[in-house]
Amino acid sequence: MTAGSHRAPPADLDRLIGRLLTIGTYASILLIAIGTVLMFASRIDPLAGGPPFEPGLIVDDIAHGRPAGFIWLGLLVLLATPIARVIVSFFGYSARGERTMAIVSVLILVVIAASIALGNAGA
Amino acid sequence: MLVGLWLIAGGTAAGFFGSLLGLGGGTLIVPLLTLVFDLPLLTAVGVSLVCVVVTSGASAGVFLERHVANLRLGMTLELFTATGALVGGLVAFLLPEQALEILFSGLLIYTSITMARRGRAAGDTHGGPEEETLVAEPGDDQFFDANLSGPTYRVRNIPFGAAGSVGAGVVSALLGIGGGIVKVPVMNIVMGVPLRVATATSNLMMGITASAGAIIYLSRGLIDPYVTSPTALGVFVGASIGSRVAHRIDVRILRGLFIVILLYTAFQMLLRAFT
Repeated sequence: MTAGSHRAPPADLDRLIGRLLTIGTYASILLIAIGTVLMFASRIDPLAGGPPFEPGLIVDDIAHGRPAGFIWLGLLVLLATPIARVIVSFFGYSARGERTMAIVSVLILVVIAASIALGNAGA
Repeated sequence: MLVGLWLIAGGTAAGFFGSLLGLGGGTLIVPLLTLVFDLPLLTAVGVSLVCVVVTSGASAGVFLERHVANLRLGMTLELFTATGALVGGLVAFLLPEQALEILFSGLLIYTSITMARRGRAAGDTHGGPEEETLVAEPGDDQFFDANLSGPTYRVRNIPFGAAGSVGAGVVSALLGIGGGIVKVPVMNIVMGVPLRVATATSNLMMGITASAGAIIYLSRGLIDPYVTSPTALGVFVGASIGSRVAHRIDVRILRGLFIVILLYTAFQMLLRAFT
């Protein structure tokens, strides 16, 4: 028996996820770049220690043109992009009736949720 | 501002040479931030994990659109790398910095040995397949046969691949690297995945693996936005340039130079650990 029995690659899903990763990464880099320019304009010393991560302040920081808001949002978009890829995969595989891969997607999301919970628990 | 520009320059160099030499950013960023900018190791690892997500996102998107990366295989194995990263991210906070520095020195020495071997056999495929059709063996699992294999290769030894992936995830979150140095040989030699597909799939997996680790560092306040932003920007620019000029550059001399640099950096890291 050769490998000819393999299932055809999910071409559309590959393309969709590839596009999602590229757009997410470029969007995050744009936000990080804006934050970096604002940081330079504000003459902030990068090694002096940045502000802590406070999600509630991001919108206010951006509204007031503060660099930290753009950088934190960029980092959140960046870290959320691979997670969004897994969520899209779940729906893609579910729609194709690939139950095992859909379960794998859910299990990855459970591990990510555990990272968030355990990371916060020790903070 | 000058320090910020140096961070961009350092990130650009790490991204550029990392993409030329197949090192990934982390192996170079952590020593850069600790030895040159004198940052604590855990802060450097946090920044480095973000940079790994940047390089993964930029390249994996292209690999998927070109159908080089194997999404099913990548997702199956990243369940194990993400679990490893979760464990590694938590263990990193329990270990003394000295232990992490010694581990990182070991990683640098291992990387330089791997590079030296690769240099000796130019075009070497690590002993694994490049592109070929493999036949099934008795006892092979039907699910994996049907789902994880590609059109020109057949994936085998999934349990060993899963174990290797857990190890790669632990190392990734402990030391701020992508883990390709573990995953690519495991997929290529042990699992029978062609080198090109293994490299692209490893790149795809790094995104989730490094995110799982970075989330823990972020929650524990160890991702400094002002260090991360110029460094990640530099890595993005450097890796983009590197991937475009890679085919025009003879990396043999560069590889030799970097073996020396990595060994010197390992020595410096050990000195830092014991002083």
